[in-house]
Amino acid sequence: MSTPTQTTKSDPSVLVRLRDLWNDYLPYWFMAPMVLVMLLITIFPGAYDLYLSLVEYKLSEPGTMGQFNGLDNFRTAFTSGGAVNSFTLTIIFVSGALALETVLGFLLAALVTGVKSERMKTFYRVAFILPMAVAPVSLATITRIMLNSEIGVIPYMITQYTPFAAPNFLSDIPLLTVMLVDTWNWTPFMFIIFYAGMSSVPETLLEASRVDGAPLWRRYVHVIIPYMKPVLFVAILIRLIDLFRTFGLVFSLTSGGPGTQTELVSINIFQTGFTFVDLGAASAIAIVYLVGIIALCNILIIKIGFEGVWE
Amino acid sequence: MATIDSPEKPERLLSRTTRERLVAAGRHAALLVWSFVVLFPLYWIVSMSLKPPSEAISLPPDWIFLPTVYNYVQLLQQSSFITAFGNSVFMVSTSVVLVLLIGVPAAYVLSRYDVPKQRDVLVWILSSRMLPPVAVVIPFFVIFRTLNLYDTRIGMIFMYITINISVVIWVMKAFFDGIPETLEEAARVDGATQFQAFRKVILPAAKPGIFSVAIISFIFAWIELLFSLVLTNNNAVTVTMQVYQFIGVRQIEWGMLAAATTATIIPIALFVIVVNKYLAAGLSFGVVVKE
Repeated sequence: MSTPTQTTKSDPSVLVRLRDLWNDYLPYWFMAPMVLVMLLITIFPGAYDLYLSLVEYKLSEPGTMGQFNGLDNFRTAFTSGGAVNSFTLTIIFVSGALALETVLGFLLAALVTGVKSERMKTFYRVAFILPMAVAPVSLATITRIMLNSEIGVIPYMITQYTPFAAPNFLSDIPLLTVMLVDTWNWTPFMFIIFYAGMSSVPETLLEASRVDGAPLWRRYVHVIIPYMKPVLFVAILIRLIDLFRTFGLVFSLTSGGPGTQTELVSINIFQTGFTFVDLGAASAIAIVYLVGIIALCNILIIKIGFEGVWE
Repeated sequence: MATIDSPEKPERLLSRTTRERLVAAGRHAALLVWSFVVLFPLYWIVSMSLKPPSEAISLPPDWIFLPTVYNYVQLLQQSSFITAFGNSVFMVSTSVVLVLLIGVPAAYVLSRYDVPKQRDVLVWILSSRMLPPVAVVIPFFVIFRTLNLYDTRIGMIFMYITINISVVIWVMKAFFDGIPETLEEAARVDGATQFQAFRKVILPAAKPGIFSVAIISFIFAWIELLFSLVLTNNNAVTVTMQVYQFIGVRQIEWGMLAAATTATIIPIALFVIVVNKYLAAGLSFGVVVKE
């Protein structure tokens, strides 16, 4: 390094040192970009929402805009707005859809895993993922026409080919209909993660339990499910959070109606913020919602997820 | 199935092969029922897109009809649809590559190292997905205006990363947790550096997870509407926004809507079919490594 003639030798040594730097601090290099992105996407929107929730921010009253008003927004949201109703509806919607999607996704993954023919396996795998590809906004429009009591093909087929009379899906049972459409749309998410998780159960483990003559259900309860536990837990947790965020589908399918029968919290926030142009109150609901979801997830993570997932 | 399989039953009514065939038949029957539930609405969309406007929503349905490409021709004549389609393909693919590059290594570290306050870090990551999108989009609208990112592809790619980063990290951490640590220890004993062990041993074993997470991230970004509605205007318009515009104020043009929806499903179908092959390959490789 000291003399110019040695540059050819010193170049590799710089490289070596760079490589050592890379290897010695590997976990830090691996984490750094993620931490940077996360700081950008959580601190700013979170802080801005908190700020909005504490100030007067009605676009209809520009004079008072930006004035600090303590907890007034929270009071407005939870007394005059339909926030309480929307929280109840959301809990019903989320628990119903989550249960359906988890059970169906697991069953489908288990059934497809056992298929012998490679070609059929590929067919099922591809077909079962496809509903996810339909954007909620398209799905809502198509659902509206397929379920329409006068021109819809599904009520038509139910009345024609079964002994039952078709209900008027969007006015008689709106919340259940929304739940079923969401199940159609998002069971693929559970299927694909469960399927990948199930496929990574080591063949040796399965072979051992087969040799022991364990019946099928025992193989699931004692071998497959315990092995898949982290994957199961994570998929359910992510789906839970996404169900709480459901917006596009319900908004374009029922707009919260009839009346307020499908007015989930995300719809309530949107309407408070953009229809009644009260961004302060909308942010207040969003903050309460966020705190509620974080609390719920923390309880789940501590009570259920701790063993097996976190070691 | 459990009772038929049970070894405690001394006398079996059916021979082993007959039983296996019955189980397989039952399995396929159940799977075909779900295939019908999944494929019928998709068939309905595609067939609607191939019907002339007068027949699109007639009842009883025209099960047999002469397909026409009229709706697709109409769609392609709007250059804005093609532009939006290209935009979406470019922005979504780029964002998936980036989110995997950022998320997968971080998930590995969270799975293998003693990260301080690990649980809090993971909850923090997940919290980025807990804020309702409606609440997230207002602050980003403000910041994008200030930084000149409004209506740019870079801006939208960034938004797509924010949608997917938590999912990538959480799912991949769960997968890495399932891969025995003895694997990379063996590689380290053979003289590989930590990075080489990660790249040559751990990544191949985690392939099924990486491919499913890639499919999921691609889809989440591809179907996103709210962000493109608020944060784009002209240069970075997405394909879902084009679909949305068919349901605008005017009467819905069913045929065009169906054609546009079909067109949005095609890239995902292709992506799933392509990756599906690697998914299967990744799976068998994972098993080989473990033995």
